[in-house]
Amino acid sequence: MLFSSITFLFLFLPIVMAVYYIVPFKAKNIILLLASLVFYAWGEPVYVILMILSIVMNYFCGQDIRDHEDDPRKAKLAMIFAVAANLLILGFFKYYGFLVDTLNAVLPFDIPYRELPLPVGISFYTFQAISYILDVYWKKAQTQKNILYFALYITMFPQLIAGPIVRYADIEEQLRHRKINIRKIGQGAELFIMGLAKKVILANTTGAVFEEISAMPAGSLSVLTAWIGVFAYAFQIYFDFSGYSDMALGLGKMFGFEFKKNFDYPYISKSVTEFWRRWHISLSTWFREYVYIPLGGNRCSVSRNIFNLMVVWTLTGMWHGAAWNFIAWGVYYGVILILEKYLWGAYVDRLPNVVRHIYAGILVLIGWVFFFSPSLGYSIRYLFAMIGGGAGIVDAQGVFFLYTHWLLWLLAVAGSSAFGLKLIRLATRISKSRRMQTALSVIVYIGMFLISVAFLVTDTFNPFLYFRF
Amino acid sequence: MKSEKLKIASVMKYVVFLMIVVFVVLMLLYASGSSRPFSEVSEAVSASLDTENLTEQDDTAFKRNFGLNAADYDGVMYYSSEFSISAEEVLLVRVADSSQVQEVTSAIEKRIDSRRNDFEGYAPEEVKLLDDAVQSVRGNYIFFASAPKAGEYLSVFSSSL
Repeated sequence: MLFSSITFLFLFLPIVMAVYYIVPFKAKNIILLLASLVFYAWGEPVYVILMILSIVMNYFCGQDIRDHEDDPRKAKLAMIFAVAANLLILGFFKYYGFLVDTLNAVLPFDIPYRELPLPVGISFYTFQAISYILDVYWKKAQTQKNILYFALYITMFPQLIAGPIVRYADIEEQLRHRKINIRKIGQGAELFIMGLAKKVILANTTGAVFEEISAMPAGSLSVLTAWIGVFAYAFQIYFDFSGYSDMALGLGKMFGFEFKKNFDYPYISKSVTEFWRRWHISLSTWFREYVYIPLGGNRCSVSRNIFNLMVVWTLTGMWHGAAWNFIAWGVYYGVILILEKYLWGAYVDRLPNVVRHIYAGILVLIGWVFFFSPSLGYSIRYLFAMIGGGAGIVDAQGVFFLYTHWLLWLLAVAGSSAFGLKLIRLATRISKSRRMQTALSVIVYIGMFLISVAFLVTDTFNPFLYFRF
Repeated sequence: MKSEKLKIASVMKYVVFLMIVVFVVLMLLYASGSSRPFSEVSEAVSASLDTENLTEQDDTAFKRNFGLNAADYDGVMYYSSEFSISAEEVLLVRVADSSQVQEVTSAIEKRIDSRRNDFEGYAPEEVKLLDDAVQSVRGNYIFFASAPKAGEYLSVFSSSL
């Protein structure tokens, strides 16, 4: 079930909220757990069994680590088993087909294999399970004795299928105690509506432009059309994913949870290093805490640090999908981040801000070409079109996309910076009266909600990019 | 007490892991798709069909009866009876990606409903065929058969993957 669907907005969410607020605090976790299982089973009626088994296995693995806390060797073995089992399950569903396809490409014969669809959200919930195992092993968190609470941590529907990836240590306390009040519910509703509008109005509309451009052969694109295409995709993926994250954070707040923010206006970055501090923060944090630092982080020789960074970024690419273009995308960022750290970062810092924005923007856009391309060959052809190797510099098609969607581009630029939010806040603070401000705020957000619903009802194009990860 | 708990967690984690392995094996056996090319699967299925009653149809017939464009998919094989008074038909589709599964299964449901409306009241044996029709979604492959030997065709389809 998608947050941006009529069934979720007008059936599932109102029922869950009504029951959740009515029941006493002790029952709230169970209600949320049941709702989360229904939410997942709605789209994955078979794979919900896999998720439940994974929860039970990780619960016992956590207990096993705790039971061996007096024997570090046995505790370590228990931790290794748990991490390996999780990675094996994730690896099987995500990379088994890719591995056989790769072998088939080099072998003189084809190995036929059985295909299984990727369980929705498996990358997210597996990473959360590993977070629990490692936090317990490193004694950053207590073992969760209540399996229902642990199951809630893994399955909580606001963040189950597309993150943010919540670290166990960050949420452990909230599973037992959290505040639910009208102020938090209001803030959560605001965030949710903001995310819904980002997703339904901006991501879907920019996505439709990208769909049209990407359907054309890369060689037939002019420079202008190719750049409009990559800009459209950059806006689509940002509004799609950050919108979904905002909805998750908003829902979390409405149920009393505080999740850390996942996006912080990444497109205003002045370097690629800064971009990755602002983009998908929960994934970067996960890799830093559970891969980069255990490998030695930056407290080691330069060559070792470069190795650590390349491992992390190759894995980041692989996490996004089992395809060479995702691996190329991860390696691309690994190389740029290493170069910024050891070669030209200090020089970039001295450049005027405008130049730094352009520098970071161009590198990020090139990265998106690797990301959206169905193959490495296509990405090379697309990049070639961006520098004039396609159908000239400007064509009627490019001018048409620019001219007919000018308002969309303006909204997308405003929405991907703090300017968009400032504009909304400004509109609600026209009056000095506090009551009036509240009333205006309600009108603005209800208006945004109704426009989003109108888009949902009339528009059939409602994909969600991060579902497949 | 602790040593007893220790045993439970140590044993249970392996038991549940084993259950996951069994689950995956069952999924592979009974719910998986296949990387086999469409030509191989369709050849195996068409070889098993009773061609006395079923004739291979073209993309236009597929479009007319299911409202779908064959060009949108990796492969379409459609057999139906030459006689309009028969509900016998067999369809095999390989979708290009999993997001197309829903539209094909919905089209099959609509087709069954529409055929049932056609036969209801005067051809109970054809309605029975539609009631007993089989459908199977295996990865990117979708199979539908409304025929006296529908079960047999389904087994051929499953084993051809």
